[in-house]
Amino acid sequence: MDPLPLARLQFATTTSIHFLFVLVTLGLVTLLVYLQTAAFITRKPVYERMVRFWGTIYLINYVLGIATGIVMEFQFGLNWSGLSRYTGNVFGAPIALETLLAFFLESTLLGMWIFGWHRLRRGAHLALLYGVAITAYLSAFFIMAANAWLQHPVGYEVRDGIAHLTDFTALLTNPTFTMALGHVTSAALLTGGMVLASISAWLMLRRSPDYELLRKSLWIGLVTVTVAGVPLMGFGFAQFGAVGPVQPTKFGDDAAKAQAVADFTARFGPGDYLPPAYANVSLGFMILIGFTLAWSFVMLPLFYRDWIVRLKFPLVIVGLCLPLPFVAAILGWLTREGGRQPWAAYGLLKVEDAVSPISGGVVLASFLGFTALLLTLAVTNWVLIAKRAARGTADPALGRSLADVTAEDDERRPEPALAR
Amino acid sequence: MELAWYAALGLVFAGYLVLGGYDYGVGLLLSGIRGDAQRRAALTAVGPFFLGNEVWLVASLGILFGAFPRLEGELLSGYYPAVVAALVGVLLVTVGVQLRGRPAEPASRARWDRVVVAGSALAALGWGAVLGGLLQGLPLDASGHVAGIGHLATPFVAATAITLVTLVAVQGATFLSLRMPAGQATARADLVRRLVPVALGAVGLATLLGSLSAEVRAAVHPRVLVPLLLMAFALLAARLLAPRRAGWAFVASSVALLAPVLLVGMGRYPAALVSTVDPAATLTVAEAAAAPATLRLLAWVAVPFVPVLIGFQAMSWWVFRGRIDGKAPVYW
Repeated sequence: MDPLPLARLQFATTTSIHFLFVLVTLGLVTLLVYLQTAAFITRKPVYERMVRFWGTIYLINYVLGIATGIVMEFQFGLNWSGLSRYTGNVFGAPIALETLLAFFLESTLLGMWIFGWHRLRRGAHLALLYGVAITAYLSAFFIMAANAWLQHPVGYEVRDGIAHLTDFTALLTNPTFTMALGHVTSAALLTGGMVLASISAWLMLRRSPDYELLRKSLWIGLVTVTVAGVPLMGFGFAQFGAVGPVQPTKFGDDAAKAQAVADFTARFGPGDYLPPAYANVSLGFMILIGFTLAWSFVMLPLFYRDWIVRLKFPLVIVGLCLPLPFVAAILGWLTREGGRQPWAAYGLLKVEDAVSPISGGVVLASFLGFTALLLTLAVTNWVLIAKRAARGTADPALGRSLADVTAEDDERRPEPALAR
Repeated sequence: MELAWYAALGLVFAGYLVLGGYDYGVGLLLSGIRGDAQRRAALTAVGPFFLGNEVWLVASLGILFGAFPRLEGELLSGYYPAVVAALVGVLLVTVGVQLRGRPAEPASRARWDRVVVAGSALAALGWGAVLGGLLQGLPLDASGHVAGIGHLATPFVAATAITLVTLVAVQGATFLSLRMPAGQATARADLVRRLVPVALGAVGLATLLGSLSAEVRAAVHPRVLVPLLLMAFALLAARLLAPRRAGWAFVASSVALLAPVLLVGMGRYPAALVSTVDPAATLTVAEAAAAPATLRLLAWVAVPFVPVLIGFQAMSWWVFRGRIDGKAPVYW
């Protein structure tokens, strides 16, 4: 059995599942920073309640972000040892920097944030969340730099048959990096806003009691979707101009495509150098979803005299839109990654030379096992998020003040506040 | 430069074994703790450190990928089944610990706790097998590739896998005796005293099987006796110190978990991966390392941040120091 299609399918599945959770993590942490800053400055209890409720949703979601991220990182070595061997000198550097400078700090700070309520001073606790958000964006920065290098290798030279790093700054000014980074972070912000808006809309339809919190969340969510949509589309369309010249087989015109194919054939021998059809199809659908979401601004005037709640159907629409940003994100990645096939590193290393020399049977077992495991965990995670949200906004375990908890209070709670 | 990065890799992975070790140790010991409240209390003891511990693994993987890309590819694909076992274990623990507190029903929580126990066992077995496999060497051929996965199925690798489970259990027990409320100290110390002989037995068995295996004998340098003795003394010290000095007992069991990394590092240096079929195919640390330009870049960008990384970890240890009591916030 050929390990290549299986290894590719495994990478696509793991990355897609990973990205669904990363989007929400990055978007929600930004909104949490806003909410906790507002709580810190205004001292209004509603903001504190919002941080605790949305913080709980954020943390449940975060779990799978880490779990799938660890699998991603192992996968390079397990299935793609040819990639590590040939491009490791260059591609490995941003990955290593991401783990050390960003992810390591993010998790350390997040642990303190979860357990530090009422134990640290308010300012220090807020600073921890800022740290979590900054390191989350730093992660996105390095990972997108690494991905952009595979899209368009720069700042290297090939010596003794492997790539050597010559200019790290070239990796950070890569045309396939800057626009894509803006696109991805705007997409995350939009998704975070959508999560806030949709869950709030849904809870309002169920007549969940904390109207003040839900209305505010719905407003913040919809404003975020509207505002983030602008740079999202800007960076998205800007990529045609930036990526076209460096990846002619993806976005070039017919002449550029033919020229690139002739060039690749001369250097690497005959082969199929044109990307599969699904790359362009998914691009079309992604843009369609983008234009649909752009209509979110019509919801904003409906907040006048709470028409959005009284009419009810806008809430249903907002609730039903929740899957859209996720679907669009996956379609976008199918375009970006599928569109550069057959290359692992564009114009440098083909996927067939990047895959590990392991037997197809081993990859098949690993693919089926990990896919089943990750899908189960992902679905379980979403069910837990839905159930947690359905229980309403009252008294999440996160950030409960122990000073207010009495023993009898503790007895009737669904979950204990204290370790006994 | 390569040696410095190799040492850094060893240090960070050892840090993972020590810190992640008590996560998995506590995870294993959950199987013997009755009642949701008590299990929750044990996880609260790990509480604020859990996320910060697991990332040491990610950091060591980052160093492996950035500074030793060739080693990364060969090591992970050469020990595929062991690495996958460890990875699945890490995954289950990470998810189980963080999600077990979310459902309100005790039955779901008990199910998640079983996930944590299974994951902890699998993670320890997997890393033990990887470390055993590193000591034993693997059939690297002249092209630098490993054929097949059967080379891991030896009694020595099985013994090192079990040894790591016992070391991790001791670590979990000393951690709990350090962190749980003072009233439970005696019971926890007794657990440490009972687990240490098991761990020593496992270490002895692995040593015996290693000395019987021609491959291990041929490839391991005699200086491995130093970390081996260190491990044995540390375990004994943990047993002696457990009843009165919980903190020092924890330090001792941590040293016992550092020792396996020293064993591999000292026993195999200058080789990073030893070939059992073709001595010329053995991968040395220098060959496995990234090019000097990459190592320099990593050093310039990463090293200034090391104090920051350690500083925030230390801040977390300091803020949440001491035993947990009825006032400890519960989240997991």
